[in-house]
Amino acid sequence: MLPGFANPLGALLLLLLIPLIIFYFLKLRRPRMDLPSLALWRQVMADQRVNSPFQKFKRNLLLLLQILLLLSLVGAATQPFLSGDAERAEYLPVLIDTSASMEARDQAGGKTRLEVAKERVGRLVENLLPDQRLCLIAVDSSARRLTDFTDNRRMLTTALNGLGVSQTASRLEDGLRLAQALARANPVKKVVLISDGNVPATTDFELPFDLDFQKLDPAGANVGITDFNARRTSSGWDVFVRVESAAATQGVVELMLRQGNSEVARRTLSVTPLSSERVVFRLETAEAASLVLQLKPDGFDSLPADNVAYLDLPRVRPLAVYCPESLTTYRHALAIVKDIRLYPGEEAAPATVDLKIVDSSQETGPEADVTVLVGVTPPDLSDLLEVTTGLADVVDWIRTTPLLQHVQLRDVQIADSPQLTKGVEEREIEAAGYEILAQAKDGPLILQSEDATGLKLWLLFHTDRSSLPYRVGFPIMVSNAVQLAWQRSGLAEVRSLATGTLPPIAAPAEQQAQVVLPDGSRESLRVSGNGLLTGVSARQSGSYQILVDGKELRRVGVSLMSPTETRLEVVDKLQFPEVSVSASAEAVAPADVPLWSWLAGIGLLVLLVEWWYFQKRPAGLPA
Amino acid sequence: MTTARFTSLYDNSTLGRIERMRLLPRRRLTNRSRGEHLAGKGGTSTEFNDYRDYAAGDDMRYVDWNIFSRLNRPYIKLYRHEEEMHVVVMIDASASMRFGTKLERARQLAGALAIMGMMNLEKVSLYAAQDRETAPKILPPCTGRMSLKRVLDFLEDLPAGRDYPIEQAVDAVLNQHRGRGIAIVLSDFLTFGDVDRSFNRLFSAGLEPFAVQILSPEELQPDVTGDVRFVDVETSYTLDVSSAGDLLGLYHEHLSGLQDRLGTVCRQRGGRFLSINAADPIETVLFDTLRRKGWVQ
Repeated sequence: MLPGFANPLGALLLLLLIPLIIFYFLKLRRPRMDLPSLALWRQVMADQRVNSPFQKFKRNLLLLLQILLLLSLVGAATQPFLSGDAERAEYLPVLIDTSASMEARDQAGGKTRLEVAKERVGRLVENLLPDQRLCLIAVDSSARRLTDFTDNRRMLTTALNGLGVSQTASRLEDGLRLAQALARANPVKKVVLISDGNVPATTDFELPFDLDFQKLDPAGANVGITDFNARRTSSGWDVFVRVESAAATQGVVELMLRQGNSEVARRTLSVTPLSSERVVFRLETAEAASLVLQLKPDGFDSLPADNVAYLDLPRVRPLAVYCPESLTTYRHALAIVKDIRLYPGEEAAPATVDLKIVDSSQETGPEADVTVLVGVTPPDLSDLLEVTTGLADVVDWIRTTPLLQHVQLRDVQIADSPQLTKGVEEREIEAAGYEILAQAKDGPLILQSEDATGLKLWLLFHTDRSSLPYRVGFPIMVSNAVQLAWQRSGLAEVRSLATGTLPPIAAPAEQQAQVVLPDGSRESLRVSGNGLLTGVSARQSGSYQILVDGKELRRVGVSLMSPTETRLEVVDKLQFPEVSVSASAEAVAPADVPLWSWLAGIGLLVLLVEWWYFQKRPAGLPA
Repeated sequence: MTTARFTSLYDNSTLGRIERMRLLPRRRLTNRSRGEHLAGKGGTSTEFNDYRDYAAGDDMRYVDWNIFSRLNRPYIKLYRHEEEMHVVVMIDASASMRFGTKLERARQLAGALAIMGMMNLEKVSLYAAQDRETAPKILPPCTGRMSLKRVLDFLEDLPAGRDYPIEQAVDAVLNQHRGRGIAIVLSDFLTFGDVDRSFNRLFSAGLEPFAVQILSPEELQPDVTGDVRFVDVETSYTLDVSSAGDLLGLYHEHLSGLQDRLGTVCRQRGGRFLSINAADPIETVLFDTLRRKGWVQ
């Protein structure tokens, strides 16, 4: 470690030596003491000069102490430091991994990874040099800047102390992008990442700075629930559970499925290191149910957040589809689809259906979550689009979109030709909130939009004026629309919600909603004008209660549901597009060690010695 | 009923005890004149000493007739001679003795020893050395109770002078003094000069040196620390001392060395040496210290 000086100009204070020495010798006023005779003292002095080789040193010991004191203070003023192995950086963003795995402990009663990380960052803050600025950034599923670039230790320590674990998976890229944004305003050469290594091994990010990846010691054994979903059966639900374990995990776990306060099923599993077990519960119920799955390990479990999962099952019913009689081709295609109830039929259509297929404006028929509008142009795009008569050639379509999966549109003859208004470009349609699913030569053919009322699929041409109903892709497209409705209605398959953000929740528009978090704290949010409560942050696993006007609107359970976090997988190397960064070999990368406090301490010690030297009892007195 | 003090030096009871005490010289250094001390040679006292053959002209009264009747030869009886001892008391009254109660203790001791001498019918002379520019102040030889008041008056009115090294004071006294006996020197003996020569001269002059060193508590146990400028009150010379506290051990070594040397010098010349603390009460010094040391009885 090489010494350096953060403030070399402080050495100018050495000039104070001149007045110090001058004042010492000029202003030295010895107290006068009358003696009967100097005879004895002259002999003493003569004897002392002969016998004491350090008498000159002793004579001016006070001056030497004062010079030593001044040198200590000047040394402290120059702010010396010992350079660590790490390159010294003035502006240093510190990314602290706060993902769920950082809550893991290495042993029962041990420290969490975040506590260890805090200690390490605390040392960094403690050894902060005067010209260094730290910026603390918490990284989990997103990145949060805890402080600006500052050298204020109190502020940094306060931010560090207030840092908690977010029970979400790591998303390192966000943190690096935030650091990159900070680097635009300040010269950032290096970024420190403190993590347990449970981060994605590959990150799609071009590193514009050096990354010091400091990996913490691995945590202990862990087993947890990584998947919890249910699929509808003819008689009820099949509930699927996946239990995974971390390395060095061995033992037996007990799974307990509860519905409300009553236990529905119980299962015991044997887990081995890095095992992945699938468990199926059969649930014979047609009514809505809230399931809670609890996992109880028989030994030490380093991460308790993944030991509980929540699942809300809807009431079992057929899918409600509305398709007017005029759309004969669609009704033919729907007739072969199982487990749906088609309206209008023997019964009148209800106010709300799951899927609506209409060929007129959207106000026609009941409200639906998924609406397929055939031959209808969105009203707000009337200025941008014009449907003319003429053949339209399909150029391309998105084959992976749910509606068009396995649907072949090539060579389909279409008599309606949607055309963009002159001077309008496709991006203006996208800017209006529409996604183009299929593209013709002169304009879009199929659009998709989503708003508070649901998902809308706009077929800008009428299928009756095309050869599509005669193609095999037509019933597939209708079936895809039905599947889409199944998925969105949650009637066929439901999945446990993972931490992060709660899904949009329908609530009275323009009302103030209270969200009671699992830890009992509350957040107040305003419901949007379209009647959806969105953007509810769910960083803790547990049950979230939504209150409007003091009354419970809904209760939503979220859990970790992250295999990588549960398995506590760690990486030793982070792969970026062009470079890879290995974890630091040393537990603590030696940082610059400031020495001014030591010098100030020596100065204080010298001051005490000087004081003691003045006040001490005369030596050599006979007992 | 209270009795008026006879002198300011002591109270009356102390003075009474002093009058009953006597000096105990080691050697008999006496004068020819008659006195209280028996000389080794023939004299006229009542104490028989020896016989010798009669010679023409001898006093017939000293012929031992009993021996003459037995041996038929005349023998003269010899008696011991009683001679007088001169007690010289020298007081260092220089400025250095002003410290504390040094001079007062010196005056009290001088008075007490002089009274003891006078009460034993010795000739007592007092010399006070105050200033090297002037000759020592002298109280001429006196003896007997009649001279008591003179001695006390001399001492009571004795102020401290200025610079007068003790060796020079001894020389000045010896230039004036005649007579054998004892020389009591009361001083602090803190001088740059050669004290050995002074004791040699005293010894040569037939005086048994009784040296009393009187030091103040500040000299015995100096309480100094740090950087100090010492000023000699006699010469006004200065001496800068740093870290004086560290030198106190050395100071005590030198003080002990001085006292040992003075003791040795006095012993070698048949004399005595005593160092006393000026803070000790005079009664303790007279009736305890001096008695135990065998100076007085």
